[in-house]
Amino acid sequence: MTMLNPDPDAALVQRVKEGDVRAFEMLVVKYQRRIERLIGRMVRDVDLVADIAQETFIRAYRALPQFRAESAFYTWLYRIAVNTAKKALVDMKRDPVMTHTALQGADDDDETYRGGMEPTDGETPEALLASKEIAATVNAAIAALSEDLRQAITLREIEGLSYEEISDVMNCPIGTVRSRIFRAREAIAERLRPLLDTRDGKRW
Amino acid sequence: MSQPDSDRSSSRRILSALADGDATGSEAARAFQAWRDDPDARASWHAYQLIGDVLRSDDLAAEPAADEAFLVALRARLATEPVVLAPQPRVEEQAVAQPVAANAAARSRARWQGPMAMAAGFLAVVGVLNVAGPFRHGSNASVASNGAPASGPVLAATTSVNNSGLVLTSAQTPAETKAAADQLAPYLAAHRQSAMNGPFQMPGSDLRNVSLVQPAK
Repeated sequence: MTMLNPDPDAALVQRVKEGDVRAFEMLVVKYQRRIERLIGRMVRDVDLVADIAQETFIRAYRALPQFRAESAFYTWLYRIAVNTAKKALVDMKRDPVMTHTALQGADDDDETYRGGMEPTDGETPEALLASKEIAATVNAAIAALSEDLRQAITLREIEGLSYEEISDVMNCPIGTVRSRIFRAREAIAERLRPLLDTRDGKRW
Repeated sequence: MSQPDSDRSSSRRILSALADGDATGSEAARAFQAWRDDPDARASWHAYQLIGDVLRSDDLAAEPAADEAFLVALRARLATEPVVLAPQPRVEEQAVAQPVAANAAARSRARWQGPMAMAAGFLAVVGVLNVAGPFRHGSNASVASNGAPASGPVLAATTSVNNSGLVLTSAQTPAETKAAADQLAPYLAAHRQSAMNGPFQMPGSDLRNVSLVQPAK
């Protein structure tokens, strides 16, 4: 991946390098789902996926002082996840108590391997239902947005364009792009918030 | 925590910009603070990231309790991690938070940095002279006397270096010094012997005569 745009995580990464562990949590919240999905395509035991994802973030945290920003943070994190998953698979092959399901797809080095798209063994029906409800809510909220807001957030989140590029595409100032993306996020989050309250009404 | 709506909205606006890498330095600092202090900011950050993920793919929609449990578990592991990062001073925050203390600390550093540098330089010169001494004058060439001091049981009032390269302080008695010197003597003797035969030996001390014999044509 070439870095056409500045790394959007540069400020967060720099903050962590300055010793702010809590800023690392923000990166975790940002990438945890993508990293878990990536690992889940290599190792299809849901308990193991979470463990490997945890190990991935711990390794990334330890190695962050050596991160030179020659690639995007996510690309670097992605590599750590793949290597951690591969190591876990090798360790499991040596371990006689390994499970068959945990090793399915173990020989597939392709990071885009899609063989494991069916539910993993540990996912509960409740979790699946909650996930589907969240996806449906987000999609319904997107459909209800004005054209300007929908276009702005789509260009940002799906196409990965920078604010400057979006301002060119939409022919408006960067400040307007920033405002539209924020308003789009808030409109979607407003519908989503009731689903995001965790137990006892506490959030994070 | 009760927070005015305008503050909350402003905080969320900054988090949205930070998520896209578009926050200014001061905005980013505010966002980091909000993440630490404000549950609403943490929930908004999570919501914005989840929205982005779901827009990219429905299968990234995760149960929020799972996300939270993941972070809580990781937070516990991070808390047990040894400090591997090299924190750099955040100048702007320190300057704002404790300008008086910072200035006083800087003045204090400036006061002792000069003398300390001079003392370090002096010790370095003394050390070099001491190491070079045996080669120039024999084993008795030393900066500080190895014999009994004239002024009582304390060897020297100030820091000095004896002929074994030991740094002596006023707290060391002659007996302690002798014991330490005895411990180091074999090592230093071997080191000197090695140095005499090493790459720094005098040129010409170990030359061989070589004659070139050309085959007859």
